[in-house]
Amino acid sequence: MATDSLSLTFTALADPTRRAVLARLAKGEATVNELARPFAISLQAVSRHLKVLEAAGLISKGRDAQYRPCHFEPAPLEAATDWIERNRQIWTERFDQLDVHLKRIATKTDRERET
Amino acid sequence: MSDGSTELGELTITRIFDARPEVVFECMTTPAHLTHFWGPIGMSTPLDGITVEPRPGGRFETVMVNDESGEEYPTMGVFVEFDPPHTFSFTEPGVAGGMTTRITFNDLGDGRTETVTHQSNVPPMFLSPEAQAGMETSFVKFDAYLASL
Repeated sequence: MATDSLSLTFTALADPTRRAVLARLAKGEATVNELARPFAISLQAVSRHLKVLEAAGLISKGRDAQYRPCHFEPAPLEAATDWIERNRQIWTERFDQLDVHLKRIATKTDRERET
Repeated sequence: MSDGSTELGELTITRIFDARPEVVFECMTTPAHLTHFWGPIGMSTPLDGITVEPRPGGRFETVMVNDESGEEYPTMGVFVEFDPPHTFSFTEPGVAGGMTTRITFNDLGDGRTETVTHQSNVPPMFLSPEAQAGMETSFVKFDAYLASL
């Protein structure tokens, strides 16, 4: 499992502005200027957020030097979701077994009380 | 009974157990109990691989062994909070950039306990100021522990 790319993904997703940018890009490509418009932050700040997203592989930029629209890249997000889903599975099975264990303890305690 | 919900980078699982908080908390933090249920299905958690140092900054380590292949999956956690029977949390610095797991034990008053398990991969510097203030002491201890490695 590539823990490093997961770290980059989770770090990128930890920021509300970056999540909002991603949500916008999920609807379709946009330029830096278009992305900056809804936020009360500078173009430079948006560019910094985009760099983090790009490093995590969550977005890519067009090749045209003048007009470089950003695209949403879903693959890392899917990897992160899969990873969380696996963890959810582990905890669910763990708690199922804890349930059984607690019943076993309770039965044992009852028996000890009777004798 | 289980209820899992997934958000971006976070995981919350709520469960109700038919035992008092003291009992559930003890089961989740005592090696002799953990060995019976910690490994998910198909995995075992041998007693000799479990380390629990029940205090903030203490180690919380397990080795899960695949029943078929014998492959080992060690987890290296460090307790951030340890407050029986209300809550404990631990971080795993080596997992996905630092994962924090927090389990809260709510007394339902009828002999049952609701546990809320929250896992987050959000690094501490992104936590809200309120959360940071509340956990500052613990993180100072945790930082000290990391520095000593």
